[in-house]
Amino acid sequence: MEFTRDVLHLDAEAECARISRFLHREVVEHYRRQGVVVGLSGGVDSALIAALSVRTFGAGRVQGVLLPEKESNPISEPLAREQAAKLGIGVERVDLTPVLSTLGVYERKDRIIGGLCPDYDPTVDKTKISLPPGLLERPAMNVFSLTVQKPDGSARSFRLGAREFQAIEAAQNMKTRSRMIQLYAYAERLHYVVCGTTNKSEADQGFFVKYGDGGVDIEPLAHLYKTQIFQLARHVGVIEGILNRPPSPDTWSGCVGDEEFYFRMPFETLDVLLYAWNNGVPKSEASDALGLAPEQVDRAYTDFHSKAKATWHLRTMPVTIDQVG
Amino acid sequence: MAKDKLKQFIVSRFMLGQSPNSLDDSISLVNAGIIDSTGIMELVGFLEEEFQVRMDDTELVPENLDSINNIMTYLQNKGMAGGQPFA
Repeated sequence: MEFTRDVLHLDAEAECARISRFLHREVVEHYRRQGVVVGLSGGVDSALIAALSVRTFGAGRVQGVLLPEKESNPISEPLAREQAAKLGIGVERVDLTPVLSTLGVYERKDRIIGGLCPDYDPTVDKTKISLPPGLLERPAMNVFSLTVQKPDGSARSFRLGAREFQAIEAAQNMKTRSRMIQLYAYAERLHYVVCGTTNKSEADQGFFVKYGDGGVDIEPLAHLYKTQIFQLARHVGVIEGILNRPPSPDTWSGCVGDEEFYFRMPFETLDVLLYAWNNGVPKSEASDALGLAPEQVDRAYTDFHSKAKATWHLRTMPVTIDQVG
Repeated sequence: MAKDKLKQFIVSRFMLGQSPNSLDDSISLVNAGIIDSTGIMELVGFLEEEFQVRMDDTELVPENLDSINNIMTYLQNKGMAGGQPFA
């Protein structure tokens, strides 16, 4: 098949039907469960899979769960509720702030940030981490920076050392793992499965947390690139507020999108390049088809390889000496 | 001596059990899977501390960091603060 910029365009209805068949087969025949639990983030992935789950099982067998904490974007919950109401699914809400406080998530993070930024005030300042922007425009390496945003709009950035980054990452990952704990609590009580919302762009590049948002029973969207998620979401009628919202990890008090946080280029460009890399499209062919300079494609392919290789452990089951089961 | 220190650091942190002699000076450390993104941050920290250089964000590019040869060229171009000899 010739590689073109439109290679990711789907027959939306056919794909939705395919995912629905997958859901039914896995939940009913394989897992032998009564329905699905979906963590509703106010983002497009969870909105899409909630809609497809309702299509498959009916609203009465889809349990939505809201899992906000004090650093969540305030827009996330209203959007999630609006989408849930449109679908007619039940919603439960668990505020994770107390458990995250008990785990020391905020304290650990604030201690590290305070060490970098002496005038950091966790009561009013917003924070985020990000990678250098513009992967295609300049060959910067993947070194994270922390940004502290003051109430007056001023901001300062600090390059993170390895120890600081690892400590912050370890603390922040407890957020997504805490979400997983709650989703399984609902699923096991209801005899449902926990439905994942990770897409292929995230899965391939390691943009998820092991046993966090990666700790689920099924991943019905993991074969779809982010732009395909949006395509299907428009097809099934996900609300405009979610369709227009830039994708975000929603784990930092400062507003940071997925592109700024990790991917370093817009999804419209990332996905076609990632597809090309995944499918062995020669750099010259990708360059011609996408109107990019050869060195830009080379930079993208190198980054994809680096991230995939660094995150291989996220995509594996625990390793055993002999086969188990 | 500087190159020896550099190779010893990389081998001890990222190539456990191997000898510094096994590390090719021209190989891409990222493409070879020797150093990942967290490793780059460790490498930068090591270079700044060991060789008394301050790496500007604009200098965190493969041209300066992605191989032993590239790193040594970068260090030589920056000069060596602290009086440590180059070898």
